Amino acid sequence: MTVDIDTSSSTAPIIIMTRVFEAPRELVWAMFTEPKHVAKWYGGRGFENPVCEMDVRPGGLWRHVMRTPSGEEFANEFVFVEVIKPEKLSWQHIDYGREPSGAHPTSRMTVTLEEAGANTRWRLVTEFSSFEERALAQRIGFAEAIAEGSDKLNALAKALYAQTQASSVGRAP
Amino acid sequence: MSSDALSSTLFALADPTRRALLARLAHGDLSVKELAQPYEMSLAAVSKHLKVLESAGLISRSRQAQWRPCHFEPAPLQALSVWLEDYKRFWERSLDGLTDYLKELQTAPPEPSVPKRKSMRKAKRDKTPRRHPPRPMRKEST
Repeated sequence: MTVDIDTSSSTAPIIIMTRVFEAPRELVWAMFTEPKHVAKWYGGRGFENPVCEMDVRPGGLWRHVMRTPSGEEFANEFVFVEVIKPEKLSWQHIDYGREPSGAHPTSRMTVTLEEAGANTRWRLVTEFSSFEERALAQRIGFAEAIAEGSDKLNALAKALYAQTQASSVGRAP
Repeated sequence: MSSDALSSTLFALADPTRRALLARLAHGDLSVKELAQPYEMSLAAVSKHLKVLESAGLISRSRQAQWRPCHFEPAPLQALSVWLEDYKRFWERSLDGLTDYLKELQTAPPEPSVPKRKSMRKAKRDKTPRRHPPRPMRKEST
């Protein structure tokens, strides 16, 4: 089963992923909020999570260290923003909205869980923060800024890159 | 590519008009006037979109020529493409893991004991861990 990526609009660049789990909502909620469960799946097959400490309440911390199959470790500190059991969980990088220090954008992730019969519909919205982007949105006067699904973006990027490579010899308007 | 650059690339591509402008520029340089032609849009409106694309480094504009042609710059798209692919892969892999784990849990009685955890201090002592997802891993490929 793959992740479906949706298109939507918002005031920030976002990526939306959806998926259906064959499990009741309460159980899926536990998968995302109890360290003993999170440590079992986070990162996927072959990954380990030697540290997973969660204080699941608004303002609470989530300290996490993930180890790749090759033994490389990655640490993250998140803070929970919204906790509405069992339907909505939102967390963000501890430096979300501040000047980013790392090489990667900070983001806020929001998972919503919806009952679909015996299954649970899972939805993840990722919002990326950046001062530059916000300033830009204000300056040009409209803040509708969405990132379309990464599949489409990838396709676009590849197509555009291929085109530019092909046309780099004789560029004619 | 810096975080800000990635975010501004995302922002610039968020708009369908800007994507369309970019796609046309990939075929060759065009002036603002030429770019505006197929749209029911003022030159000023097209200029605004071009400014966003320019801020994101997706296009450049010649200062020399009087018609200031817009030129497509592919580097930010490549960087974004790589990053998004990694991001998506991280979540797909994690969610596959979760799917398997949920199956295990629902077919067998759940483990009564909490798995032991190593302390944060230990992990920090090993090496300074880097940030991870949404920054995903590139090295492994499954």
